Amino acid sequence: MKGTLIGFALIIIIGVFVPFTAGNFTIRLATDIVIFAILASSWNIIGGYTGYASFGNIVFFGVGAYATAVLMSKAGLGFYPALILSGLIAGLYGFAIGFPILRLKGHYFAIATLGLAEATKALVQNLGLTEGNSGMYLPMPEMGIDASYMFFYFNALGILLLLLVIMYFILNTKLGYGFVAIREDEDAADSIGINTTIFKSISFGLSGLFTGMAGSVYAYQQGFIKPEPVFIVTKTVKMIVMAVFGGVGSLFGPVIGAVSIELIANYLSEHFLVIHTIFFGTIVILAVIFAPKGIMDIITARKKLGLSYFLENIRKNRV
Amino acid sequence: MLTQILINGILKGGLYALMAMGMSLIWGVMNIINIAHGSFIMLGAYTTYWFFTLYGIDPFVSILLSMVLIFFLGFFIQKFIINFVIGASLFITLLLAFGIEILINNLALLFWTADVKSVQVSYGGANIEILGAVIPTVRLFAFLLAIAVSIILFIIMNKTWLGRAIRSTAQDLDAARLNGVNVGKIYSITFGIGTAVAAAAGTLWAVIFPISPTMGGHLTLKSFVVTIIGGLGTMMGPLVGGLSLGIVESLGTNWFGSTFENLISFTILVLVLIFKPNGILGKKE
Repeated sequence: MKGTLIGFALIIIIGVFVPFTAGNFTIRLATDIVIFAILASSWNIIGGYTGYASFGNIVFFGVGAYATAVLMSKAGLGFYPALILSGLIAGLYGFAIGFPILRLKGHYFAIATLGLAEATKALVQNLGLTEGNSGMYLPMPEMGIDASYMFFYFNALGILLLLLVIMYFILNTKLGYGFVAIREDEDAADSIGINTTIFKSISFGLSGLFTGMAGSVYAYQQGFIKPEPVFIVTKTVKMIVMAVFGGVGSLFGPVIGAVSIELIANYLSEHFLVIHTIFFGTIVILAVIFAPKGIMDIITARKKLGLSYFLENIRKNRV
Repeated sequence: MLTQILINGILKGGLYALMAMGMSLIWGVMNIINIAHGSFIMLGAYTTYWFFTLYGIDPFVSILLSMVLIFFLGFFIQKFIINFVIGASLFITLLLAFGIEILINNLALLFWTADVKSVQVSYGGANIEILGAVIPTVRLFAFLLAIAVSIILFIIMNKTWLGRAIRSTAQDLDAARLNGVNVGKIYSITFGIGTAVAAAAGTLWAVIFPISPTMGGHLTLKSFVVTIIGGLGTMMGPLVGGLSLGIVESLGTNWFGSTFENLISFTILVLVLIFKPNGILGKKE
């Protein structure tokens, strides 16, 4: 409880502090980080709490982005109605699609979601409404450049806070306990009267809702979107890397993961332009081997910290 | 016309089957989805390209060299990296494979640049005609070689001590260990065989299509689809899955146009997963 309050306070203080101390470049970087924090935290709902490793969460990002593009440029809606509708569309998509594919387990679920993302991308590439591969333009925000940087940053931050607050409350309800029960033992959860089908679909829908809203902000910020970049598979993997790096199944783990991974990646690309992606791959490998439970676990398990903590992780999973 | 489409589909399907065979083996034995599978296919393609341009070795000869080289690469990657997380949860192993993929792909970009390359063999333009359908000879060679590699793999898995050891490791780790199987070594050999087969597919791919360091991601996805469609844990699965996907894609792109290729294959994937999650050949659990 106390830890959670400190966490929220830190995010609000640092989050509000950043844009008033820095130039537009930093604000833009911070916006990207916050958007990734939303993606990683949304993935955490289905992957971390409910225990279904979705490898296609990018589909909600793409659906949200395209819904916003269509609603704003073709239906003439303003940004906020489009943002809310896009979130709802992506959320409903997740909820509805959850019924058939959440029956699959483990690897099969992971791959079905991957296939779903690719199939949706291919559909968007072929639809008239989304103008295929040529991409879509969105209306320009009617404000100055500096104001628009602030606008996108604070919208993203608002969505992140909304997500964290909602998840904080959900975790202390029957719904939240249901998610965790399904992760720990689905058959047992079923036998004590949890309607696992509905619970899983709600979890997937919530994940889709917030990912879709992030996609919506991203689309309006970019001003122009194409199928290939908004549905890119590597972004799904990146959100999982962030969640795992920070700590799966904890409220702030994915946020910590997103901030640290993006800062590391940004530092590397500034200082080692050519080989920074090689470094990034190495960091992913090392992090997975030495700290598979993420940074949150290192922070909360302070007692054991030291070389032995990392060696124990290695010994435990070896054949 | 229809024969031509079917034959095109079968020829491509043979290659798909070979690609998926390595992934299916690693998945079935070690319970790891090797996201980096396509990267090993890419490495096979580039070693072939090197042997061809630097030393003039014909791809259908150098395929053996590529397979041996990539076998050892896979062997050591399993021994020194993957082995440390092999008992961890699903997304930990997936993430590790993802890290390996980033590493290999970006090293490849550094070595070979992002330019698209191709292996132009002297007999590349030759065709033969069967039942009124025109077939490029290299594609037929590649198909036959794909079949040959899968037969060899089949023999290894079913008739040798190594194959028995691999299969028993897949079935029950502890029982295999009790019977004197060095499980760690079997895992490394299995991963090596899987990557070697991927390298073989890469070699054949390089003879037919242009290659680039980023070609792997797409092929990983294709291998996934084939493995799922065919069903995991049977040796014939990849073959059935590969040929089905090849034929359906060939028919589909002919009817709807080539932009629908991915939509078709992933729709099939999702449908198969929903209605027959164990694949066409898979048994009910």
